[in-house]
Amino acid sequence: MYEEPYKWVEAVGNRRTYLDAQFTEGAPVVGVTCARGILLITMSKGTPKLYEIYDRLALGGMGHPADLEKLRFNLLEMAHVEGFNRSASDVTGSRLVKYGMAPAIKQAFEEVFKAPFIVKILLAELGQKAGKDSFLTINYDGTFEEKSQYAVLAATSLVEQKMAEYLREQSITSLEDAVGAAIRAWAVGDRAQRRALDEGEGHDEARTDPDPQVTDSETLYAYLRRCITEKTVECALLDRHVQRPSKYRALGIDELKTMLPKDLSPSLS
Amino acid sequence: MQSDFYQLLREQGYVFGVPSQAAQGQELTTATTILAFKYRDGVLVAGDRRATAGNMVMYDRTDKVLEIDRHSVMAIAGVPATAYEMARILEHSFKYYRRTQLQELSFEGKLRALSKLLKDNVPAALAGTGAVAPIFAGYDFEQETAKIYFYDILGAEFEGVDYAVSGSGSPTIRGILHYVNTWGEQPLSAISEEQATVQALRLLTSAAEFDSATGGVNREAGLYPMIKFITASGVRTTPDAQLKPLFEARVSRHV
Repeated sequence: MYEEPYKWVEAVGNRRTYLDAQFTEGAPVVGVTCARGILLITMSKGTPKLYEIYDRLALGGMGHPADLEKLRFNLLEMAHVEGFNRSASDVTGSRLVKYGMAPAIKQAFEEVFKAPFIVKILLAELGQKAGKDSFLTINYDGTFEEKSQYAVLAATSLVEQKMAEYLREQSITSLEDAVGAAIRAWAVGDRAQRRALDEGEGHDEARTDPDPQVTDSETLYAYLRRCITEKTVECALLDRHVQRPSKYRALGIDELKTMLPKDLSPSLS
Repeated sequence: MQSDFYQLLREQGYVFGVPSQAAQGQELTTATTILAFKYRDGVLVAGDRRATAGNMVMYDRTDKVLEIDRHSVMAIAGVPATAYEMARILEHSFKYYRRTQLQELSFEGKLRALSKLLKDNVPAALAGTGAVAPIFAGYDFEQETAKIYFYDILGAEFEGVDYAVSGSGSPTIRGILHYVNTWGEQPLSAISEEQATVQALRLLTSAAEFDSATGGVNREAGLYPMIKFITASGVRTTPDAQLKPLFEARVSRHV
């Protein structure tokens, strides 16, 4: 059936359409560096989306939980075997992604007789010094990008662009700045995704609204208050101040409450 | 999902505990007095810092009290080459388990992991090239208390209810620990952290007095034993700067 080249190209194209549709309702993921370390934030409905991979590596994901779980195990396996056989410093995000993860995801994507991975991955790596932090994002087709200040995952690259533009304008130094900027960027992304979904379904209300790109904090926080009623905030930090080798820790609700605007914190649970 | 790191290593061709015969007259590096006892707030684990091969002192800065994770410590006596490898496997196994399963491996699971390594190491131990008799101590969150276990070279696991010792200098201090714990002013489990530190320094100094393979305190070189405390909040190492004044005031004899 796919022996003719153009049919294979067509099949891969169909796959793209299929995969794009799988992410429309997924929660975006935001990663931001600050003086304290790297902050990852998302909102989820129960299934966690942020994980520890190695001493200085954290993972954020979007997509099918079972696929994410499979790739997470692959990453953990590669990282720990490498850390044992060589050393912790030889376990780098760039090597894991370029020689491990990305080729596997690309292969699954192009093997049209098999199921692709329904995932987008963000790998954050805490540098030995501030300013040396890095992010790697991998798309469902295996293409990856490297970033240094911030990185995002969202349903479409258009939404990702909007979130990145928003983050570019923020000045982030402290952890508080990072939490605020990250959660607002999350709102920018989730809001854009929901609007795209509504437009797709042809809601009149959505079409008449002329201002699709809201960036003022008040509107974003109001939007977040509504989201928090149905989802929980998930937040993790690769903490530069932690003395032991493993830098990853989850930021609890109590800690988050002290860093978010007062009017938002009561709705956190 | 097994999440067994040791199994994963073996699947990748890693072999542990290969028996090999030492050549005639070849002296192996070994290392030496380790001890652990329960004090008021948890468990103290200490070890001297000497590694020897026959009559030769190989090294005087060996770290035999190894922090495996935030709440457990393995102290090693025997062949350091094998012991360090065991420590590396355990460290990675516990990390791997925690990160894959999103929960800590239970204290019992950790003990079992060490037993398994020792059991696999039996051929090497009996061949004479890889005998290790460690002490494993850690905080057991299920029972909310710090515990001590010691092992023989075949992997048998024993709980040290009050204390445990291992290594060539251990016969000397085993008697002292029994005496102090039974007829001392107060049992070891009632003494403070500072008193426990002084006891550990005195015990290791005594071991060094009678065992040439145990290094005591070398004040000229600023070499002090390794002393770690395990409590509910984790493992803590006592810095030399804290050991120095205690040693001078309460351990060394000013005659």
